[in-house]
Amino acid sequence: MKTGLPVIFAVVLGLGGSTVGFVLAPAVQLGSVKQTTVLNSTDLYPPQRIGDATLGLQVYRANGCAACHTQQVRQEGVACDVGLTGPGKNPQALSNLLSTLTLTHLTKEAADTVADQLTAAGGKVETHIVPAGADLDRGWGVRHSVAEDYLYDYPVQLGNLRAGPDLANIGVRSPDANWHLLHLYAPTSAVSNSKMPSFKYLFHLQKAGSTPSPEALNVPSSFAAPAGYEVVPSPEARQLVAYLLSLRANQPVYDAPFTPPAKP
Amino acid sequence: MSDEIKSSLPTPPADPQPGAVQSNLPIWIVVLTLILVFIGGLYFDQHGGWFKAQVYGPYASADQLELYQPKSGAAAALAHGKVVYEQVCGLCHGVDGLGKPGQAPPLAGSEWVTSAGFNRLAHIPLVGVNGGIKVQGKDWNMAMAAMGAALPDADLASVLTYIRSSWGNKASEVTGDDIHRIRGTLGTHPAPMSGDQMSAMPE
Repeated sequence: MKTGLPVIFAVVLGLGGSTVGFVLAPAVQLGSVKQTTVLNSTDLYPPQRIGDATLGLQVYRANGCAACHTQQVRQEGVACDVGLTGPGKNPQALSNLLSTLTLTHLTKEAADTVADQLTAAGGKVETHIVPAGADLDRGWGVRHSVAEDYLYDYPVQLGNLRAGPDLANIGVRSPDANWHLLHLYAPTSAVSNSKMPSFKYLFHLQKAGSTPSPEALNVPSSFAAPAGYEVVPSPEARQLVAYLLSLRANQPVYDAPFTPPAKP
Repeated sequence: MSDEIKSSLPTPPADPQPGAVQSNLPIWIVVLTLILVFIGGLYFDQHGGWFKAQVYGPYASADQLELYQPKSGAAAALAHGKVVYEQVCGLCHGVDGLGKPGQAPPLAGSEWVTSAGFNRLAHIPLVGVNGGIKVQGKDWNMAMAAMGAALPDADLASVLTYIRSSWGNKASEVTGDDIHRIRGTLGTHPAPMSGDQMSAMPE
């Protein structure tokens, strides 16, 4: 076998190269990711999942949610807006200056120049970092996804098809657990044009007593259970919803800085 | 025509020794490839972030990502104040602001920290304390060096803002300009003040 050595060499090169590229390099890049500090805060991100939310990831996985839902928000750009927080001692000069300046959709350098000009005129300014992109315009998030978002996911449910909306931020968008249960039981009752299949098997019917059970789902009449029965979510449904509510990728971190809206 | 055909044919092996074979690769392909590799390298240098895990689109480099970190506003000053506090003050006064018996009085709930004005408070890190000081009805008889004298105005201001608004304290913020003004009233080598001198000062 004259070509034995070259074949072995090629195999080692191919397998070794892909191990380095797909396993080793990502591990070196991201293997040490741990909880990070939220910008301008002392809070840690992401919070550890607890209880039902931990189990819910496996329900999400078992039901193949990742086949139609992604958990990755993209961001195409970033801009700076300069906001005036105080008029200062000479409002007239400031308003004259303001009429000559553009305050939104600036680069950081331009925003700093504008902020300096306004500060020199006596105004108090704050620069807001505003991420931009199609996913963000759809309301799917406030920033792009970062490695920390997936820290407690195993396996990570990235998904690659968007038959349904992205779920990276669903816990912030729809914080109501009952809405989620209803949506899983009868998708079109919550979203009229939903294409999601019903996950009725995560619920069961039980005979209604004289008073409705506290766990029973309040289903609209057109989707209601047969008379005398009520719809009760199974533990899996509750775990899945707890997991969905734990998907809250809305904190500014170093990789994805932005200015959160001011707290009242 | 016939010359062309002849020249494109391999030359007969006149010499039995193997020699350098004339390459059929046109030189322009080599040049084009090198130019494309060069442009690719330039693009990677400008947009690739050099394999840094935290740098990816829309940010092109670590410097750019650093530039877009929000650094202004009250929240940023407070976060910076915490960092400086934990480096400079936290060792004795505790990261929880509760102080340490025999070392430093508490800052949480201390009337020295939460006073309406901060003139007296700002003097403590700027000149230091020598001798007894009464905090929340308890006597503390020890010295504190002028720990804040070497800090920049903005850093000291953010520390004071941090201790005045943390651990349940709710007092006004301190700006770098205020510290600059107070520092200006001190001499070059101000002597540490005693607790009684401090108490006599305006808040």
